Amino acid sequence: MNAPELPKSFERRETEFPNPLPRPEGELDALKKAWKAPKGLSFITAVNNTYVGLWYVGTAFLFFILAGILSLIMRVQLAVPENDLVSHNLYNQLFTMHGTVMMFLFAVPAVEAASVYLLPNMQAARDLPFPRLSAYAFWAYFVGGLVFFGTIFFGMSPDGGWFMYPPLTSTKYSPAENADWWLLGIGFIEISAIAGAIEIIVGVMKTRAVGMSLDKLPVYSWAMLVFAVMIVIGFPAIILGTLLLEMERAFDWPFFIAERGGDPLLWQHLFWFFGHPEVYIIFLPATGMVSMIVPAMAQTPLVGYRLVVLALIATGFLSFGLWVHHMFATGLPKMSLSFFSAASTAVAVPSGIQVFAWIATIASGRMKLTTPSLFVIGFLFIFTLGGLTGVMVAMAPFDWQAHDSYFVVAHLHYVLIGGMVFPLFAAIYYWVPVASKRALSERLGRWVFGLMFLGVNVTFLPMHITGLIGMPRRVYTYPVGMGWDALNLVSTIGAFMIAAGVALFLVDIARNFRFAGEDNAGNVWNASTLEWLPNGNYATRSIPSVVSRDPLWDQPNLSKDVEDGRYYLPGTATGGREALVTSPFDARPQYILQVPGPGWQPVLAAVFTAAFFLLLTVKFVFTAVICGILALGCVIWWLWETDPGPVRPPADIGGGIVVPVYVTGPMNHSWWAMIVLMVVSGMVFTCLIFSYLFLWLVNPGAWPPQDIRIPDWIWPAVSAFLYCGSAILIAVASRQLRGEDRRKPRPVPILIGVALLLVGGASAVDLWAQWQTDLSPSAHAYGAAVYAITSLQIFFVLTTLVMGIYTIARWLAGKLDTVRRTTFDNTMLFWYYTAGQGLVGLLVVHGFPRLTGGV
Amino acid sequence: MQSALDPAGGDAWQLYWLTVVMTVGATLIFVLVTALLLYAVFAPPERRAWLGTRRTIVYGGLAFPIVVLSLLLPYGLIVMRDVDVPQPGALQVEVIGEQYWWRVRYPAEGEQTEFSTANELVIPIGRPITVSVTSSDVIHSFWIPNFGGKIDMIPGRINRFNFTAERPGVYRGVCAEFCGAQHARMAFDVVALEPAEFDAWRRMQAQPAREPAIPLLARGRELFRSGGCGSCHVVRGTEANGQFGPDLTHVGSRRTIGAGQFPNNIGTLAGWIANVQQIKPGAKMPSYGSLTGEDLRAMAGYLESLK
Amino acid sequence: MSGARTLQVLLALGGMIAWAVQFTIIYGVTSTLCGRGWADATIFGIGIVPLTILTTTLATLSAAAILLAVSLREDRRLRIRPASATDSFLSHAGVLINGFSLVAILWNGVPAFILPACA
Repeated sequence: MNAPELPKSFERRETEFPNPLPRPEGELDALKKAWKAPKGLSFITAVNNTYVGLWYVGTAFLFFILAGILSLIMRVQLAVPENDLVSHNLYNQLFTMHGTVMMFLFAVPAVEAASVYLLPNMQAARDLPFPRLSAYAFWAYFVGGLVFFGTIFFGMSPDGGWFMYPPLTSTKYSPAENADWWLLGIGFIEISAIAGAIEIIVGVMKTRAVGMSLDKLPVYSWAMLVFAVMIVIGFPAIILGTLLLEMERAFDWPFFIAERGGDPLLWQHLFWFFGHPEVYIIFLPATGMVSMIVPAMAQTPLVGYRLVVLALIATGFLSFGLWVHHMFATGLPKMSLSFFSAASTAVAVPSGIQVFAWIATIASGRMKLTTPSLFVIGFLFIFTLGGLTGVMVAMAPFDWQAHDSYFVVAHLHYVLIGGMVFPLFAAIYYWVPVASKRALSERLGRWVFGLMFLGVNVTFLPMHITGLIGMPRRVYTYPVGMGWDALNLVSTIGAFMIAAGVALFLVDIARNFRFAGEDNAGNVWNASTLEWLPNGNYATRSIPSVVSRDPLWDQPNLSKDVEDGRYYLPGTATGGREALVTSPFDARPQYILQVPGPGWQPVLAAVFTAAFFLLLTVKFVFTAVICGILALGCVIWWLWETDPGPVRPPADIGGGIVVPVYVTGPMNHSWWAMIVLMVVSGMVFTCLIFSYLFLWLVNPGAWPPQDIRIPDWIWPAVSAFLYCGSAILIAVASRQLRGEDRRKPRPVPILIGVALLLVGGASAVDLWAQWQTDLSPSAHAYGAAVYAITSLQIFFVLTTLVMGIYTIARWLAGKLDTVRRTTFDNTMLFWYYTAGQGLVGLLVVHGFPRLTGGV
Repeated sequence: MQSALDPAGGDAWQLYWLTVVMTVGATLIFVLVTALLLYAVFAPPERRAWLGTRRTIVYGGLAFPIVVLSLLLPYGLIVMRDVDVPQPGALQVEVIGEQYWWRVRYPAEGEQTEFSTANELVIPIGRPITVSVTSSDVIHSFWIPNFGGKIDMIPGRINRFNFTAERPGVYRGVCAEFCGAQHARMAFDVVALEPAEFDAWRRMQAQPAREPAIPLLARGRELFRSGGCGSCHVVRGTEANGQFGPDLTHVGSRRTIGAGQFPNNIGTLAGWIANVQQIKPGAKMPSYGSLTGEDLRAMAGYLESLK
Repeated sequence: MSGARTLQVLLALGGMIAWAVQFTIIYGVTSTLCGRGWADATIFGIGIVPLTILTTTLATLSAAAILLAVSLREDRRLRIRPASATDSFLSHAGVLINGFSLVAILWNGVPAFILPACA
């Protein structure tokens, strides 16, 4: 809003540098001081992406190994028929945990973790825009993940499969807490994933090197952008699903119980609407990595950049039209299935584009057969095979045979190991020199590759046959004489070959990985992108201006000039940590973002959040609530230090460009984050409305059930009036807060206060309206659906209450004025959203049954 | 004996040919892509230069898959249309999934009265079969690989699976959807008979249980009664009328016990009664380990005699 | 994000959005009609399910085709008169994405010619 107009000159080739040499005395020291990592015990309060990113990658890898060990136990059990190494009880927990941990605690966190580390470096940003949010996401995941995994040692792990289909997982058939561990444990790790996704979207769009316009964005950034958007669209479905199932388990609201109007298939829709995009959520970042590694190894630019970007975007769209292909055998009409067949077929095309883009790139350069190259070649081999069997199972009639057999086990391991694990190993071998003083060993790396590559094929190739000759999945043992014995034994041998490869990799890491601050191994591959610039904790000394997609190849001397401080913002303007925010399309400098530094708040908030969910699982409700309140307190303490306002006048970052150190409105990074959060909330709500309509569809003549009366129309009218009123008051408050004069208008807190009463009243009226008709949430799915919509709205209203009171407190503390108003803006956006959601909810709950007239 | 690669019915043959066509096609494409990849890596630069352009992507990654898939998709849809189609005059059978066994019911048809059995699907060859499936507890999935695809058994929903057996024989079906502790031990036999044999079987199954022929068996029946077995099991023609477990009226005529786990004879029956919870832990039936060996033989003998 | 940029992005992604709209409508309508047993209705002798699929497919297909034509024209215009790299990138992406979406939309319409409505 108050950023200056910038010259349009960024696209011409830079001939002179923005900043002259020599740089002033002490400039670099001030920069280093601002970015110094905390020492001693408070080391864990570090929030910088280079620290959090590495911890994050390390933790994800730990879970890879743990879940891998679980799979080895399973493979030993299945090596011979009628084996009794483990009981059915433990085996069912093993495969549930193997799938759950690999998907939720390894695959998604691993790719997110890698991007926390790599994205800022690749875009020459000093840090991610919300470093404390990444720290929070990491610690919540770390604590929650370890406790969740620990349940396996106490026989308390979930045992209903990673897909958790009710009614098997409902109270009647799984009365123990095992299922709750899944619902609450995974539920909140998903929240951590969403936090990461918001960070990545804003990071890719807003913090880039100067001049890194969309057409020059590294493919990896594109992949992460699509990845993060897919998380934002897809994860809400599983969050809502876990909410509904937990409500059914805890309060007996029958969303999935057929006798009372529920339907088990509703869960499958919600689960797979998340679950299938999930596969691409894991796969796309990996292809992004490959698209960075292949050009470096072949020493030539990527062929077909725009086609690859098309492939990423098209995959992102199509992946949301595939979910029913996990439900081909559920007896849905053939016509319905066929649309998903068509989309599953279509999604093969973008993958084909990417595979041929890499082949073309390799052909146009000279591929050095380094360890990363070997893993990429192995990836192409394994993934192509997995993709082709993917097209086979996309054909519904074939899937009727293959579904839930070992054929599918083979297929999914080919695509996930091929499509994600191999690229990840390539990436580790490739990028370790950025983070470590030494590169990993090429000699050991070849052995690691060889063992893993052979191992994967020996393990999973035979499983195609095992499945077609009738072996179903998820069996803890199998009878003698089915013809499956030899194939299973071969698979078990293969699994141990993979394990040997991974063990050797750990040896390599132990021998060669040495954390590097400013003395990393350097650009050992002669790669072309910005993460290979010399960097320290503060990332690069100055923020480069780039003119192509391969700046290190096309701008000779770039490393030296960046390191000397010739480019933008070579020091610190405010004396603290900063990032340069650029415009989302053309990457023109917009303002200097004051980045928060180390702090206990995110760590403590994360620990208490984890404690809240985990204690709730074991039904220590009182302690859980205390932890919840503490978590909220820590978050508020953390936020209190943010929104610093314009601490100094606009600063010169070089080249005559003067940018402010604080902006508000749509240019602001937290405005963007708030918009993304609203999309997440909107998706949760949309999934809930879908659930409502779905339950209507399966309950002909009972919507509402015979003896239920719909509340009189006056109730929703009052409620709607109150929602609108509160939103209008907030709009008035926003008008009051305009101007450049740093006034603190007195009506603002009063307006917010009254609006709080109105919005609280609105949801109270709606709850009362249902309550006074004696509608029971547990008698029929209708009541459960109505109360679910009402409850979600109450949750949003409560959040609005906290935000409103917080905003008033900021005003009282003198931290809110007409210029320093980001806090208010965030509250305002959320308020509008809450009011809007409330209105739609009223319309559905009160309008839909009237519209259909109980049909 | 339980394989999608050994089709025993028309629908299964169509699926088999779809499998073959796609496997061959996928193999060819896989070899082609791998060959191109290796060529791109190892061929001399001047020989492989033609491959290193955007044209490769447009033809190989865009045009080629679109052409191939435009052919495959309609083929797949046509197979989908032609298999698992309800036929007029089909034999109706109802199968209900239970943790961890199969309740099978043959509804009345013409002068044939209805009856129930368990863990065994007996069908005539040459006549279309429609199996209506549902579940009484959790989701199961009904899969006979030799006869075609699988269909989920979902509480509150009735799904149908249609097929025709072409050659007589004994086949095996399994539960394909994870259904809890003993999902691994939930199978059944499918016995395809000549139509005349099937009619005979059906008439026999509709009869009440036969009376014990010798004192030992009569003692078995008495033990069965006094042990309370009848509160869960039906033996038609006796006072045993429990609905919870499998119908045992003609249990001796079945090929296997324990939902496709063991061949059916006095020894396995006795072992089963005494040790259910060791053999199939988590099954709903308790072990009756306190029976003496003699009692066990008598009871197993009685059940075995229920042909 | 200025209005012009928003338009450019919408133009570039328009084809896939059309695909998403088509997918939602044909799946939603088929499920509802079959789920409630309303699928026997016919209009002009054509069953209501295939009719919905065909009309939706035609509508979204033409929308995507128009978007493709617009991005093609835009792309050609920008090639003659060089504009910013971002502009030409977006217009070219529009050509590719809208072109591909035609195939995806077309494939979704194929089942209407082959399969029965609700069996």
